[in-house]
Amino acid sequence: MKMRTVVLVVATCVSLLPFAPLAGAQTLSAEEIIRRSHLAEYYPGDDMKARILMRLVSKDGKERIREMTMLRKDLQEGGEQRYFIYFHRPPDVREMTFMVWKYPQKNADRWLFIPALKLVRRIAADDKRSSFVGSDFSYEDISGRNVEEDTHRLLREEAMGGKDAYVIESIPKDAGGSDLGRKVSWIDKRTLLPLKEEYFDKRGDLSKAFSADELKEIQGFWTITRRTMRDVQRGHRTEATFQEVRYNLGLPEALFSERYLRNPPPEVVR
Amino acid sequence: MRVPAESLELPVHGFIEAAGGMRLGNDPVQPRDAVLGEGRIQLEYAKEWEKGPKVFVKADFLGDAATEALRGDLREGYVDYSPVPNVELRLGRQILTWGTGDFLFINDVFPKDYISFFIGRQPQYLKLPSDAAKVSLFLAPLALDLVAIPSFTPDNVLTGERLSFFDGLSNRIRGEDAGLILTKPKHIPANTEIAGRLSSQVGSIELALYGFKGFFKSPLGVQDPVRRELFYPELAVYGGSFRGPALGGIGNLEVGYYDSLEDRAGTDPLMENSSVKYLLGYERQLWGDFTLGGQYYVEQMLQFNRFEASRSAGGAHRDEFRHLLTLRLTQLLWNQTLELSLFVFYSPSDEDYYARPAVSYKVTDQLTAVLGANLFGGRRASTAFGQLDRNDNVYLRFTYGF
Repeated sequence: MKMRTVVLVVATCVSLLPFAPLAGAQTLSAEEIIRRSHLAEYYPGDDMKARILMRLVSKDGKERIREMTMLRKDLQEGGEQRYFIYFHRPPDVREMTFMVWKYPQKNADRWLFIPALKLVRRIAADDKRSSFVGSDFSYEDISGRNVEEDTHRLLREEAMGGKDAYVIESIPKDAGGSDLGRKVSWIDKRTLLPLKEEYFDKRGDLSKAFSADELKEIQGFWTITRRTMRDVQRGHRTEATFQEVRYNLGLPEALFSERYLRNPPPEVVR
Repeated sequence: MRVPAESLELPVHGFIEAAGGMRLGNDPVQPRDAVLGEGRIQLEYAKEWEKGPKVFVKADFLGDAATEALRGDLREGYVDYSPVPNVELRLGRQILTWGTGDFLFINDVFPKDYISFFIGRQPQYLKLPSDAAKVSLFLAPLALDLVAIPSFTPDNVLTGERLSFFDGLSNRIRGEDAGLILTKPKHIPANTEIAGRLSSQVGSIELALYGFKGFFKSPLGVQDPVRRELFYPELAVYGGSFRGPALGGIGNLEVGYYDSLEDRAGTDPLMENSSVKYLLGYERQLWGDFTLGGQYYVEQMLQFNRFEASRSAGGAHRDEFRHLLTLRLTQLLWNQTLELSLFVFYSPSDEDYYARPAVSYKVTDQLTAVLGANLFGGRRASTAFGQLDRNDNVYLRFTYGF
């Protein structure tokens, strides 16, 4: 009986951790902040559904639109995840479905279903170097980068857009693994979500810049509902809006399979 | 956001396309230099009832300058219905695809349109629809697909129209004058083709077993050499495939045994022998938006000695083993709006090749322009790509999607 109480208390504390960042703020290491931020950004709820509208804007103001429904399910908090993406537009990718089985320690498995050919292709893509649907977001920006791949250092604490933030520098342990030299993140102390990120290439020049433009609390989970990634060197940017965000829908694991990739259920399509 | 989500939701989708293609050189057996000249509109419509059936229709309407014809083409028209949660039915005209090859097919025995492929139509037109009933059973971790095809659809193969080809009956390159008679199997219940796939995913690895009983999709039997009548011999195929992560990319392996049911002994020179087909493939991203893919494919003719013994003195040479290598290079640029691609088939045993370079640019989200070429060559006129030597062509397509 006593044992069970202890377990319960521990479990409650663990589950509250992401929502009580300030409690142990003084003692949090940079790595711990990034770890919690990673959970807050990529693992809120057990599952999630959102309609994502991306606006890709070139230097000369030319616009392209990507619209999709994204489903996510976590198999373990901070661990394996499944993603399902259904494209609404543009017309050349309409009705294509994309499935990702994401693992913390190895390359993700990715499948793309091309409806005109009724063909399920397996996609060989490098998380770090591949653009997601031509946007300025990489696959890694969409589904997260393993915290252990970088060494993290707390540079300072400062206000960012009226919010108290940790400023953390992350440097890849494996320099050859990506084109990234280092990244500086402004992590909101309250929500633990990144407010701003600056990516520097190996020469030390600013290459990409991320900003969280709108944060909303949805079903108790703070969510970045509007975000921008700028390719600073090319003057290209992508604005992504997350609409109709819902958490904890009870999505079955079986949904993330070839069966539904070929024949997505109506609740995904709409 | 300036563009509301609903504003572009149309009840009907599709595209309008203009495509033209020209022969690069002169072909003495072809009257026209144009191999492709068409205006096409594709429309699709889907209707789904809550917990009920789903209807899907996709149809093409085209004006074809190369053959001076107007025609409609029902690409897909089917009803989906799930009577119980683990069973799905698809009835009607449908595109059927399975297997692991990239433009190489072993266990995918469903009809193909090679003419469309060779003259620069969109890749989707490589697949022809079948009028079929498909049942899928899902019993995790296994999935079973069974397909019954009551009315036979052959491949669209080289018969001299648009493209010249090697005619084995007259042992030379022929064009529109070839005058081949292709006799399809009789439309009777006993000729219903059956195909099946049992598949499973174990971790990151996909495994599948396949079976097929029906007919060769190409006219690989000679009914009457004098009347120049060809037919589609009976065929059974048994095979398996594997696909999964390998060496930082994706690897695949596929094998199929082609049982030529009407000439198992391999003694009939007028009919295709049995064979075994092997495929090994690998694809990997090498740098940002650049992907490299390669395949090694082997066709082994069985009872080769008997084929050699029964081959007529002037008959075309064939090897016991046909080796084929493919290479795919894809580079995406400018936020994936520009695609440079090259696909090459090369056979060291047939000593022939087929290269498909293409540049594709998405002018806007709706409008895509593609400039490409189909280049063939070989040492001998009798091989798969060598026979197409005179058919090198360039094409240009503009597609507006909605």
